[in-house]
Amino acid sequence: MGRVLLVGRLVAGNLRRRPVEAGLLMLAIVAATATLTIGLILNGVTSQPYLRTRAVTAGPDVVASVSPTFGGPGSGVVTPSSGGPAKPAPPDVAALTALEHAPGVTGSSGPYPLTWVTMQAHGLTVAAEVEGRGQASTQVDRPRLTAGSWLRPGGVVIERAFAQALGVGPGDSVTLNGRSFRVAGVAVTAAFSPYPQICAEGCFISGHLPGNDPGLVWASESAAKSLASSNEPVTYYLNLKLANPASADAFVNARNSAAPAAPFLVSWQQISEADGKLVANEQRILLIGSWLLGLLAVASVAVLVGGRMADQTRRVGLVKAVGGTPGLVAGVLLAEYLVLALIAAGVGLVAGWLTAPLLANLGSGLLGAAAAPSLTLSRVLAVLTVALLVAVLATLVPAVRAARTSTVHALADVARPPRRRGWLIALSARLPVPLLLGLRVAARRPRRAVLTTISVAITISGIVAVLCAHAVFDQGFGVTNASGLTNPRTSRLSDVMLVLTIMLATLAAVNAIFITWATALDARHTSALTRALGATSDQVIAGLAAAQSIPVLVGTLLGIPGGIGLFSAVRDGATMGYPPAWWLILLVLGTMAVAALLTAITARIGVRRPIAEILQAELA
Amino acid sequence: MRQEVVLAMLAKEPSHGYELRARLGQALGPLGEDMNAGQIYVTLARLEKSGLVSCERSAGLADRPDRKVYELTAAGQQRVAGWLAEVSWPRPDLAEFHLKLVAAASGKLADPLAIVDAQRRELLRRLSGAQRAAIAEPGRSSAGLLLEGIVLRLQADLRWLEACERNWTGRKESKQ
Amino acid sequence: MTDTTLLCASGVCKRYGSGDGLVRAVDGVDLAVAPGETLSVMGPSGCGKSTLLHILGGLDRPSAGQVWLAGNRLDEMGERGLARLRRDAVGFVFQAFHLMDELTAIENVELPALLAGRSPRAARHRATELLDRIGLADRAKFLPSALSGGQRQRVAIARALANEPLVVLADEPTGNLDSEATLDVLRLFGSLHEAGQTLIIVTHDSRIAATADRLVSMRDGVLVDETRLTGGSTGSLGALAGLEG
Repeated sequence: MGRVLLVGRLVAGNLRRRPVEAGLLMLAIVAATATLTIGLILNGVTSQPYLRTRAVTAGPDVVASVSPTFGGPGSGVVTPSSGGPAKPAPPDVAALTALEHAPGVTGSSGPYPLTWVTMQAHGLTVAAEVEGRGQASTQVDRPRLTAGSWLRPGGVVIERAFAQALGVGPGDSVTLNGRSFRVAGVAVTAAFSPYPQICAEGCFISGHLPGNDPGLVWASESAAKSLASSNEPVTYYLNLKLANPASADAFVNARNSAAPAAPFLVSWQQISEADGKLVANEQRILLIGSWLLGLLAVASVAVLVGGRMADQTRRVGLVKAVGGTPGLVAGVLLAEYLVLALIAAGVGLVAGWLTAPLLANLGSGLLGAAAAPSLTLSRVLAVLTVALLVAVLATLVPAVRAARTSTVHALADVARPPRRRGWLIALSARLPVPLLLGLRVAARRPRRAVLTTISVAITISGIVAVLCAHAVFDQGFGVTNASGLTNPRTSRLSDVMLVLTIMLATLAAVNAIFITWATALDARHTSALTRALGATSDQVIAGLAAAQSIPVLVGTLLGIPGGIGLFSAVRDGATMGYPPAWWLILLVLGTMAVAALLTAITARIGVRRPIAEILQAELA
Repeated sequence: MRQEVVLAMLAKEPSHGYELRARLGQALGPLGEDMNAGQIYVTLARLEKSGLVSCERSAGLADRPDRKVYELTAAGQQRVAGWLAEVSWPRPDLAEFHLKLVAAASGKLADPLAIVDAQRRELLRRLSGAQRAAIAEPGRSSAGLLLEGIVLRLQADLRWLEACERNWTGRKESKQ
Repeated sequence: MTDTTLLCASGVCKRYGSGDGLVRAVDGVDLAVAPGETLSVMGPSGCGKSTLLHILGGLDRPSAGQVWLAGNRLDEMGERGLARLRRDAVGFVFQAFHLMDELTAIENVELPALLAGRSPRAARHRATELLDRIGLADRAKFLPSALSGGQRQRVAIARALANEPLVVLADEPTGNLDSEATLDVLRLFGSLHEAGQTLIIVTHDSRIAATADRLVSMRDGVLVDETRLTGGSTGSLGALAGLEG
């Protein structure tokens, strides 16, 4: 008991002595655990919003459609533009309605007419899918209004994600193929994925429409039919309810055929999967981001602990001199960081838990939200384990080393003797003074240089991966597509990536400061001595900056291929993109400049003490 | 005990032999117990004979054997002044130097700190000579060993002078 | 300032803190050192002698007073100027040697020359010469940890001489040495003196102080006494050894 009390007292004393470092340490772990929590929580919520929408809108289990056939060779998706105005065969509605009587079907709605039009709203010109519906409620697929009212003569209802992308709401007017309509309401449905995914299951669009991704608009049946043109003839679709919704995939697979005139069936599972892709992408990004942040946090903690260990040697010696066992010494150090890690993990869990719904909810279009994604015990344990692992990994080596230091050495405050790198010293003699000093400082603590390299490499990898993703989006699937419409999917992804990039850069900056501070403290005696021998403090600061810039440069150069590799590993079949070379050059130069600036500021604080005082302190 | 010590102790005021003895005893503390009482009277008699001290019989205490009151003559005062200025240090006669400081202070004959300074300068010069000789000796010569002894002794003496200086600086300050 | 003065301090003060916490480490020191002279400053620890030395060498700035070195006002010089001065005109020797552990003896000695922008070849040449002079040419490639205390201090002295300084400032140079090594260092100082090197030694040890031409004593930040040690009588050593009297 007394031993626990003693450990507690020493830990508390240590924390009181250095509140800022403890705070920074916790910041690093909070960032890593929060990201990890978000990633883990989103793991389970991908299908939930769709399921909720499906429940409240009486979503269909199967959506079947038939389209006109142009008599082309065996293809369901037809591009009529090239062959001139060939007269298409009308859609086979009978084949569609026959499905109502297929075994296992318990209910249906439709068939409803469907066509594709050019839509103008708020000066934007986009493609829209117009679905003709009656005013009465139906047994299957009852779109749920989120604003305004259902169809009225001369009015249309717009799918929520589409309405949000366009920025329209009830009362606004839009034109469809030049005809003016008033927006009566905004609604969600489970029969189609929300904008811009409504074609995820296949659309029969000609090349005459603007943009790539149409949005969904409900209009009266007559209006929908009258909007059809020779280029975009009417298609029909039918919503089906099955006795056993789980068998929808099998139902669909048994009936889909390659024949152009045959009905095309889509199961609710397929719709749900297309819808979930968005959140799944986010989740993948967040998980990778949290691993990167976790690695950076390990680096932070390692630098902090290592740096503190240097000036704790004396304390360790005191504890041992009054009878503390090596185990006690190691225990104190481990306990201190474990306590910090646990608190930080708690904060990170709460932060992640509060943030996750915001990210998941952004998926407009679906009524359902990831309502308070559940924080299961296993997830909590996973996050805590990671935080504790971070602390133990980073603390173990220094703690064991401190515990094994000879008491006499520790009391005399003999820091670990620096290593000699003969060839580096000989090489540095030929360099200008700041580089000479920098190289020799770096040579004294090679492990710290490696840590800097790793930390920078991780950060740059993350940033480069994000740049790759941006390059891909910018190429085709633009954040702002040709019609000037914001794509909610890519804009959301780039928001997530931006947040991650900022977190990575912040942690990396914190790391850079830790490392420079530790280096400046460590090199304090050396730099005081070189100043006594006639080096100016500017030369010493430049030397420290040079000592930092070498591993930073190496880390940056390693991070670029690392980031490209990372992106190609997670792109999941998407197109590969490379950021323009000048982005990368800017990134390298910017990183070097930021690192040099941070180092210079930190080092200036570090060397501000008078030389005589520092040299004298060695004797005290 | 050198005659000059007795002379200097007398410089404060004309005194009986027993007063002189008491004064010496106080200055020497436990070391004063080793002092032979008769030695002072013998010394006084010699000093009287050589004209450095004059002597008067005091009236009141006829029953005491030492009812003589001793006083410095002009020659005696000169002798004391010369002794105070002297810095020879043939061998460490600590008692003599100590009594010199006591006498100088009590008789207001000289500033004890000035005496310490002068003595230190002299000892430093000697130390310097000895140290230079030691440095000039090749390592491990037997003469070097002897010089080392002299150096160490002088260092000890100098350290004692430092103590004297601290002590007399302290007294001066506490009087002020 | 006269032609016969290399280093001169006038009314130099160094104070720390304020109010009740005011410490007068150096409290109005006047001092003049002639070229080629060896001066020792002796005093108990805490008397301000190290602070005075740091001020004289441009490691520290006085709170008041003037310091002249070879015609330059140190107290008015900028950081950069002081650094250049320490590099070119001053050589420091410390009690704790302050050698760089990861550098060999010769690399330590050539460091100031490299800092001063000499070519690696010239710096190596000068360092070899100096190591030869201090009798450690055969230890050039040794790390400080492989050298004895006396050898380390001699290497530190060689380092102080690397840029042929106008003055060498030594702070308790034998404080960490045994008597044999002390004699070695003192012999080296003696030979520097003979070669005309100006030298200021700060020490609490009378034995070291006594090797100078002139000795000043310092108490509580003030110079209290001055003794010329050469050119006067040094008494009879024989008498001290008990051969007389």
